[in-house]
Amino acid sequence: MINHSFKIRLDQVVSGSLVLLMALMVLNVTWQVLSRYVFQNPSSFTDELSRYMLVWLGMLGAAYVAGQDQHIAIDLLPNRLVGKSKMKLMILVNVIVLFFAFSVMVLGGINLVYITFILGQKSATMQIPLAYIYTILPVSGLLVIYYQIFQISNHYRLYLS
Amino acid sequence: MEYISIIILVLSFVTLLAIGVPVAWSLGIASFITLLVSVAAGPSATTIAQRMATGLDSFALLAIPFFVLAGEIMNKGGIANRLIELAKSLAGRLPGSLLYVNVIAAMLFGAIAGSAAAAASALGSILGKRMEIEGYPKELGAAVNITSSTTGLIIPPSNILIVYSLASGGVSIAALFVAGYLPGMFIGFVLMVTAAIFIKKKKLPAGEGVSLKEFGKTFFRAFPSLMLLVIVIGGIVGGIFTATEASAIAVIYTLGLSLFYKELKIKELPSILLKSSETTAIVLLLIATSMSMSWVMSSEDIPQAITNSLLSVSDNIVVILILINVILLFVGVFMDMTPAVLIFTPIFLPIVTELGVDPVHFGIIMIMNLCIGLCTPPVGSVLFIGVQVAGTTLEKVIGPLIPFFIAMILGLIVITLWPGLTLWLPRLFGLM
Repeated sequence: MINHSFKIRLDQVVSGSLVLLMALMVLNVTWQVLSRYVFQNPSSFTDELSRYMLVWLGMLGAAYVAGQDQHIAIDLLPNRLVGKSKMKLMILVNVIVLFFAFSVMVLGGINLVYITFILGQKSATMQIPLAYIYTILPVSGLLVIYYQIFQISNHYRLYLS
Repeated sequence: MEYISIIILVLSFVTLLAIGVPVAWSLGIASFITLLVSVAAGPSATTIAQRMATGLDSFALLAIPFFVLAGEIMNKGGIANRLIELAKSLAGRLPGSLLYVNVIAAMLFGAIAGSAAAAASALGSILGKRMEIEGYPKELGAAVNITSSTTGLIIPPSNILIVYSLASGGVSIAALFVAGYLPGMFIGFVLMVTAAIFIKKKKLPAGEGVSLKEFGKTFFRAFPSLMLLVIVIGGIVGGIFTATEASAIAVIYTLGLSLFYKELKIKELPSILLKSSETTAIVLLLIATSMSMSWVMSSEDIPQAITNSLLSVSDNIVVILILINVILLFVGVFMDMTPAVLIFTPIFLPIVTELGVDPVHFGIIMIMNLCIGLCTPPVGSVLFIGVQVAGTTLEKVIGPLIPFFIAMILGLIVITLWPGLTLWLPRLFGLM
């Protein structure tokens, strides 16, 4: 699982979903304007649907960007270090992010899904169970964890060589 | 109690940032650790997770991915070039005209593309070459490019003003957008005046004059891009559609235009959609974790503690505004703009509104202030991009940058102390 071909395939699936979400969001909001002005019949679901798609885009996109190592960081300290101590620091950073993804996004997220499912909370207009929407948290959390492990193994390989 | 929380929050956040944990994750982890002081681990994790998800659950925020996408599509069509040509014909035969061209183009491009970083990189790479041929000092060009690129964040449409609207609990986006025009153009003007002093000293070459016919031609070529601003801002101000709807219209409009002019192929679309999802996701994670930090702070009564200590210094509005500006300048040096707005608006806005400052005015003050931080080391993203595209080094640019910093700070003081500059236009349009 830590090989490159698996990561490439996973990246394709995630990036494909992001492209689809983004395109659907644009169509959705455009439909909202059209339905109001052209068809004189304002649609009721578009507002809610696009908000939930934004939550999904944000969480899934955050995981994808973590996999590309593109989140903004202050790299003054890592850039000053070289060789093994640099690799140690990079691994530490990966472990900290992994810890957050596991405890908050995966465990906290699963608990959130569970609570909203038990309470039967539903969205206001479309009546979608909120639990479904929150599932993106543990899913993205797992992706972040995978990407951190992938990066750790790369750093470790560099550390050994 | 709240002082222990403040110390834990600040210490954990600064430590995480310093060792190189990405800013967005640092915000989330620091909030989680701070919440652990008073709440058990299970509920803490669930609360942070919930705050992250609900933090993104906002229709107003949808404008951000759409404006990013519209900017991305326009960029493919070479809009930067057209706006530079237009700015050139406006600056005409003035000596050192390329520097003015840079400022004017940054104001136009920044407004349309909505990103200071994109403006700095697009304009810097195109104009930098011209400046080199005409013998402009590289560092001076970079300094002008870096500082002027931030004006597009105040001139609408602007994503950061949408973020401020969210953080402030719903200040009108239309009012904020219209309020941004005069201060944004004012800063552009101040930067041009500063550039003029250099131009005189260094005796830079004059630009080429253009005939009325040529001006018409360049204007006609830039017209569709300028029309976008008219549709978006006109639509929002006229109450025809919301900012989010306007941003979706902007996507459809730019897409239609690029396909019509054959500057974009359908098969390039997925890569553009992915690129803009990535750019958006970086901002969205910052928003999600900033929202959880803001929630943790208010649940630990931190804003109240800060308010009390600020008001114990003085309750004079000018003193408080200056104090807040100094704090924000310091914050902006170390922190990215989006989290700074989301975290500090809920703290400072109640204080200043109580002392009689309009929330729209305060929003413009805050964004203007944080724009300065984008041009300073160690984290100024625009600074690094500007230095990189100019092919020079940070050490060499700092010298010429300093006068422009001072100009921006003077501009900030004027914007802070003169509410009319910001509020005249939105009042004229009856938006507040």
